[in-house]
Amino acid sequence: MTLTETRPRAGAPTTSAPDRRRRAWAARGHLTAAGLLTLAFVSPIYLTVVNAFKTQDQIIRSPSAPPVPPTTQNLTDALGRSDKIIQIGLANSAVTVLVSVLLIIPLGAAFSFWLTRRPARFRRIVLAVFAAGLMIPPAVVLLPTIRILTFLHLDHTYPGLILANVGGGYLSFAVFVYSGFLRSIPHEIVEAAEVDGAGRLRTWWTIVMPLLRPATATVAIFLSLWIWNDFMNPQFILGPLRGQTITTGLYLSLGQYTTNYAQLFGVMFLAAILPVAGYLALQKQFVAGLSTGATK
Amino acid sequence: MRRGDPALGAVAALALGLYALFIVVPLGMSAWKSLTDENPLLAQANFVGLANYRDMVHDDALTSSLTFTLLLAGAVTLVANAAGIGFALLLNRTSLSFRAMRTVAFLPQVLSGVIVGFVWRYILAQDGILNEVLVRTGIVDRPITWLGSPLLASFSVGLVAAWVLTGFTTVVHVAALQSIPVELHQAAIVDGAGPWQRFRRITLPMLAPGTTISVTISLITMLKLYDIIVALTSGGPANATQSTALYIVKLAFTDDRFGYASGVAMLLLVVSAVVALSVTGLLRRREVDL
Repeated sequence: MTLTETRPRAGAPTTSAPDRRRRAWAARGHLTAAGLLTLAFVSPIYLTVVNAFKTQDQIIRSPSAPPVPPTTQNLTDALGRSDKIIQIGLANSAVTVLVSVLLIIPLGAAFSFWLTRRPARFRRIVLAVFAAGLMIPPAVVLLPTIRILTFLHLDHTYPGLILANVGGGYLSFAVFVYSGFLRSIPHEIVEAAEVDGAGRLRTWWTIVMPLLRPATATVAIFLSLWIWNDFMNPQFILGPLRGQTITTGLYLSLGQYTTNYAQLFGVMFLAAILPVAGYLALQKQFVAGLSTGATK
Repeated sequence: MRRGDPALGAVAALALGLYALFIVVPLGMSAWKSLTDENPLLAQANFVGLANYRDMVHDDALTSSLTFTLLLAGAVTLVANAAGIGFALLLNRTSLSFRAMRTVAFLPQVLSGVIVGFVWRYILAQDGILNEVLVRTGIVDRPITWLGSPLLASFSVGLVAAWVLTGFTTVVHVAALQSIPVELHQAAIVDGAGPWQRFRRITLPMLAPGTTISVTISLITMLKLYDIIVALTSGGPANATQSTALYIVKLAFTDDRFGYASGVAMLLLVVSAVVALSVTGLLRRREVDL
């Protein structure tokens, strides 16, 4: 891309009063347009939130009205279900996410660090194979994955689900983020530690891991979100008899009452609140993670 | 420098081994099983050569699911990225209100596909909120069956998928926009370039690397789309919205046709790889040309 060079002009052009007024109006118009469009865009989320706090009558009368007066009956009902679908789902999902991510982070980081010292061609081939893992539709490997887990006597179990998470495409993502980030760390830092006599595993843990903290944040945040929201793996690896994660529990319970909107929105609100709150709390890291990917 | 620390090597080997076990081996197993007639109801699986692949040619359900998947992926990728660029341009201001808008624009990405599917099923239902608004404002005089007819249901799946993806494409393009130096625009203004010229000659080329990533990830996401469709339409009506991922799952877990399901899985794998790699290659070349 070529750009003509800047030609400096003598004196900044003075703006007249009507000019300034026109610009102020344009700015206000821009803000209004952006605001209205954003509102329309998030209206489905708005509906979920307001209707979670309305009675069935209020919802049917005017679904888009704010909850006046608000009721917490839907949430109490959702939590008071005899099958405890929300509590069990949240607990199962939390354990699955936590253990999967805690295993993927050290595995992905140590593997990427190990890879930096391999010959360039070997590294390129291995990274290409891992890149494929990001692209493969999970449906393609689902059936054989269940076969392998059955062979290991881990089918329909949480350890099986976690193992499939750790070995599958999620590991690809971790290796990708860590490998990209490791390229920006000077070799000298690591070598200095090794001269001092630290073993490589110790160098990795005490020197490299602290340097990789931003990458770890990206990996932890996105993998937690994706594993939390995953539907296909828990649906088929766990199966219907082995308890539910929040997504499969939601799917099963929402199929039952499609006309009881109050109940439906109460359940959905409780299922969505955790990832949304996490995102709002960590949005800087979310955006930073996406931005490094987008501008690199 | 010391090479090879056995402890670090062991962790690396574990990572490689797990990846091999859950990605490489399953791919090999799918390839092998696609050459058999494996079925849990049969005592043993027979080698049938390329019979599964020959059957695919005459499988109308496969043809329609693959057509639906590819059209959906193409259309949604196009719409979501165009919308994402437009939305990013609109929201790329520094004030607090714009920052808040950018925050909520990503929200659809945070929700699970199951929740997204159910919320929209309620919005798009015959007596749902969209119809209520349309009828009340007089835009239509009878409710539209958004999820009831094959064509409209396909459109609805596309609409919902585009909604979710636009959250992602917007954030990616905002990040790319913010990496454009202000001086470029200032210089162009001094040289007398109008808004369209600046968009075409500065913004679009500078966005290109972000667009490449955004389009590639959109395509990959669409080619594996499963959860949103299951919650929204379950693949219906009349299998009109049955993506290839849904079809594979149905063949494997409802029809128990393991061998044939593996064949279709291999086909989806090849199609995904060809589409994703060729489009990425094209976009990379476009980055240079712009």
